[in-house]
Order: sequence, then structure tokens, then C-alpha cells
Amino acid sequence: MLKLLKIDLQKLANYRAFWVLNIMYGVLIISIPVVVLEFMKWLKEKGADFNNFDPMKIPVLHFPDIWQNITYVYTFLKIFLAIVVIISISNEFSYKTIRQNIIDGFSRMDFIKSKMSTILLLSLGSALLVFITGLLTGLIYTPDLEMGNVFDGSEFVLAYFLDLFCYLTLAFLLTVLLKRSALTVFMLLLFSPIERTIAAFFPANLKFITEYFPIHAINNLIAFPLSRYWFQEIQDYVSLSAVGVVLIYIVIFVYAIYYKLKSSDL
Amino acid sequence: MNTVLEINNLTKKYGRITAVNNLSLSIERGSVFGILGPNGSGKTTTLGILLDVINKTSGEFSWFGQPPTKEVRKRIGAILETPIFYPYLNAVKNLEIVAEIKGVPKSNIDISLQKVDLFERRFDNFKTYSLGMRQRLSIASALLCDPEVMILDEPTNGLDPQGIAEIRGLIQQIAKDGKTIILASHLLDEVQKVCSHFCVLKRGKLLHVGTVDEVTKGAELVEVMANNPALLEQALQQFKGVKNISKEEDKFIVTLSEGQSAADLNQFLFDQKLVATHLLTQRKSLEKQFLEVLAQSDHA
Ligand SMILES: Nc1ncnc2c1ncn2[C@@H]1O[C@H](COP(=O)(O)OP(=O)(O)OP(=O)(O)O)[C@@H](O)[C@H]1O
Ligand SMILES: [Mg+2]
Repeated sequence: MLKLLKIDLQKLANYRAFWVLNIMYGVLIISIPVVVLEFMKWLKEKGADFNNFDPMKIPVLHFPDIWQNITYVYTFLKIFLAIVVIISISNEFSYKTIRQNIIDGFSRMDFIKSKMSTILLLSLGSALLVFITGLLTGLIYTPDLEMGNVFDGSEFVLAYFLDLFCYLTLAFLLTVLLKRSALTVFMLLLFSPIERTIAAFFPANLKFITEYFPIHAINNLIAFPLSRYWFQEIQDYVSLSAVGVVLIYIVIFVYAIYYKLKSSDL
Repeated sequence: MNTVLEINNLTKKYGRITAVNNLSLSIERGSVFGILGPNGSGKTTTLGILLDVINKTSGEFSWFGQPPTKEVRKRIGAILETPIFYPYLNAVKNLEIVAEIKGVPKSNIDISLQKVDLFERRFDNFKTYSLGMRQRLSIASALLCDPEVMILDEPTNGLDPQGIAEIRGLIQQIAKDGKTIILASHLLDEVQKVCSHFCVLKRGKLLHVGTVDEVTKGAELVEVMANNPALLEQALQQFKGVKNISKEEDKFIVTLSEGQSAADLNQFLFDQKLVATHLLTQRKSLEKQFLEVLAQSDHA
């Protein structure tokens, strides 16, 4: 498995778009909390009227809120990594190198494992980056720091990892089906609107099914957290059933990729 | 264990088109096997199936007496149709990926690149290579694992005459090491020069299979001219070793019987006090045989 990862990284190491997108993604992850804080400071300085309320006191970036807040926001950045995955796989089709890989001695499963290990590495790497960013930001800005609370809610980082892993696997599947990178990115972006359109046609008693549509299921991992600041009830935990559904989707996607590659001439 | 490849009733259908039609073939170790056939006759499709990039419709094949697996492919060096590499990587990086997949040491890379004369350019990106250099790199890639079998699909496509001669020399040299080579080509001359066996495909059907020798050996054809054609004709008719004489203007084309050579004919004419002004042995060519086989299949 490590060997297969190494082969895929050898393919990507000299590919400029791979680094550009990864670095952009990393910089965004690190800079978002900084920008949010600067913005709140700026609000404070401007003396924005919050009924004498200090905006810095809103615990957006305080433990334990921070974990769900930042992971929720970061899921909007995952398209950067999806583009990395889509380019890496569509190149194999447009250069026909997937064909040569197999001629040289890969099985189709080796090819899948090799790409999946890069996807795993990207997901793990960015979950780690998110964890470190969250930890540092929280440590710096939480006013009444109690060490016991630091990791409360950090399971959202795991949810973030799963979210990313499943989404990137879906990107892999779409690329294998559509082959062309621009088309695939477009379809991936349209996936959620299409889901919602289809869901709109479901009668009320079957609406619950639409919860299990792929993007919806992925989004169920990290519920929208910010409404708690206007005193609404939120789901502030990672639901195990959402995790289960996403795991099932990952298996389905990988199997679909395998089936498609197995049955097509390369 | 002398059969390297055994194909039984292999068929591939693309919708209405049957690209490979019930093909059976076996290839012996150490032979240089040419696959001939006009465009679209199924050469690439057949090789693609043997290398597991194209799914067969029906039939069986085995490599080295074993069912085909990825482990078997690691012992084969193959190029199909066009050179395929990562364009943004240089030759060394590209071959490192191949070496990694095949599980062979990286030290083979420089040796392979030297064999195909690409060593100087090894750090240039593949996309900057000329067509000929790309072909050479794909041969280097096929040589990388010191393969037991090499599959070459039109390896001299796009090469200059010198390049063609070099690649041909390379193939002959590899064949001398006892390697088995399977070579698909349109260049009949090329197949005649390097192959020991050949087959002819048309619309996916096997029309002919045999050795190159049995086609190119056998009765010789000799062209003869002399200053006095009438006398020459008389003399030729008296020559014992003649099977058939045909005339093209002043030129006689003599089919010699088995064991007779142009030298014997020349000696005879000399004894008859005739001096040939033109004496040329026509090599029986694969090309003729190839066209005959195809023509016969049209009549059938
Ligand atoms: N992907 C495909 N879809 C449909 N038909 C195909 C496909 N690939 C090949 N064919 C058809 O199969 C037949 C055999 O093609 P193949 O490429 O094997 O021929 P070839 O002998 O290699 O020809 P050439 O000498 O031109 O390289 C042709 O009729 C071709 O049109
Ligand atoms: Mg071909």
C-alpha cells in the first residue's frame, strides 16, 4: 500500500497544479481564523453598536465551540482538494497513462488503491492541519482557558476527515465516469443543487429519503453551528448514524469505481 | 515449457464489428513473431487483450502456461500503439515509475536509456521529445525489466531511416539473447528482416501462420538480359535447371528449380558463349506472400 502511495506521489511531485492547489488550500485554512479575529477586532475598534457588547466575547473561536465552527467553515474549501484529485485522475485518462500502468503490471485494483491512498493522505493531512490550527487558535483566544475543555468537541475534526475522504472519493468516481476534468469539476459543483432539485419533487412522507442523498449525507456530519449565537437549538455533536451512512457511501463509491474500471477498455 | 503464449478462440466484439474473430495461436520461446495485417485488422486489439487493457468477449489465453495476472505482465515489456508517458516528467522520472510498478531496480534505468541512445537527454521533459525520441523511450521502458517477452506494436512508427535501422538492430540483438519478441507491423520488409515467424490477420481472422524462411527460401527467380535476346531465349530453354521462363520485353524472368542458383545459370550461359548484360536474383519477398494471402481471402 505504501508502495502504491509512493508511485502516485511520484506522478504528482513534479506537477505544478498539485502544489499550487494544496498550498492555496493550506493557506486558506490557516488564514481564516486570523481573518475572522481581525474582523472582530475591527468591529470593536469601529465601536459597532452591539448594545455595549464586546464582539470579542462571542465565543466563535473559543473552546469548545471552535471545533464545530471551523470544521463547518472549512468544508467549503474542500473543492480545492477535489480539483487536485480530479486533475490527477483525469490526467491518467487523457495521457492514457492508466493504460500503460496496467500494461506495466498494475492491476485495476492497484490503480484504485494507489489513488485512494493519495486521497487518504490528503484527507489525513488536512484534518491534521485543521486540528493544529484549531488547537492553536483556541489556546490563544479562549479567555477562561481550562485544559479539560480543550478537546471537547474535537471529534468534529474526525468528522471533517470523513467528510473530506467521502467527498474526494465521490470526485474520484465522477472522474472515472466523466473522464474530463472541467466537466467533472462542474458536475461535482452541481451535485448538491441537483440533489436539492430532486428532493423538491419528493412527497412529504418520503422526504426522509432525501436525507440520504450523497452530498446531504456528507453534510449531515457537521451541522450548521453558527445559529447558536442567535439562540437557536443546534446539533452540537457528530451523529453516529451520519458517520455510518458516510462509511457506507465510501464503500459504494469505491465499488462503483472498481466496477467501472473493470468493465471498460482502457 | 517452450510455449510462451497460447491463444484459444479469442474473440472481441465492438458492437457490430468483430475486431478479433476466433483467433487461435501459439508462440514459442525464442521466436520473433511478426503480426501482419492491414489497418483495422485487429493487431492492436489482440495485443491489448493479451495485456489486460481490453476486455475479451470470449476465448482464453495463457502466458507461460499460466492464467494472465499482473505478476505475469511484470515479466513482459510492452508498448502499444503510441508511446505513453507523463508529459511533464523527464525520462528518468517516467522510468522510475515504471521500475516501481514492475518492481525492478532503479539501476536498470540508465542502462536502458543508453541502449536507446537517450541518455544525454534523460533530464528533459517527455513533452519536449521528438516522435522518434518518444519511440525510443518507450523501447527503453519495455527493456527496463529485462523482459522475457517483448511486445512491440509498430515500434518504428515515425522514425527516420537511420532510426528504423537502429531499432531493427536492437530488436535483432534482443532476439539473439533468446528473448521472445512479438512485433505488430505494417512494414513487411521489417518483419522479413527480423522475424522468424509471422501470421497474417484480416478483419480479426487469422489467414496464415508460418515461418518466414519457408516463404523467402525455395525456388529463386532470376532476371536475365543479353545483347541478343533470341539467342538468349534459345539457350535458356536448353538449361536443365529451369522451371519456367517468362518474358518482359527484352528481359527474361527465369524460375529456377530447387537447388539451382543464379551462378549455375550464369556459368551455363558462359559455356554457351553468351554474356549476360543483366543478371539479378529476385528475393522472394514476404510482401508478395502477404498480398497473395490477402488476395486469396478476397476470392474465398
Ligand atoms: N474502442 C473501439 N470501439 C469500437 N471499435 C474499435 C475500437 N477499437 C478498435 N476498434 C475496431 O476494431 C478493429 C481493429 O482495430 P485495431 O486497432 O486492433 O487494428 P490494427 O490492426 O491495430 O490497425 P492498425 O494497423 O491501423 O494499427 C477496427 O475495425 C477498429 O475500428
Ligand atoms: Mg494498431
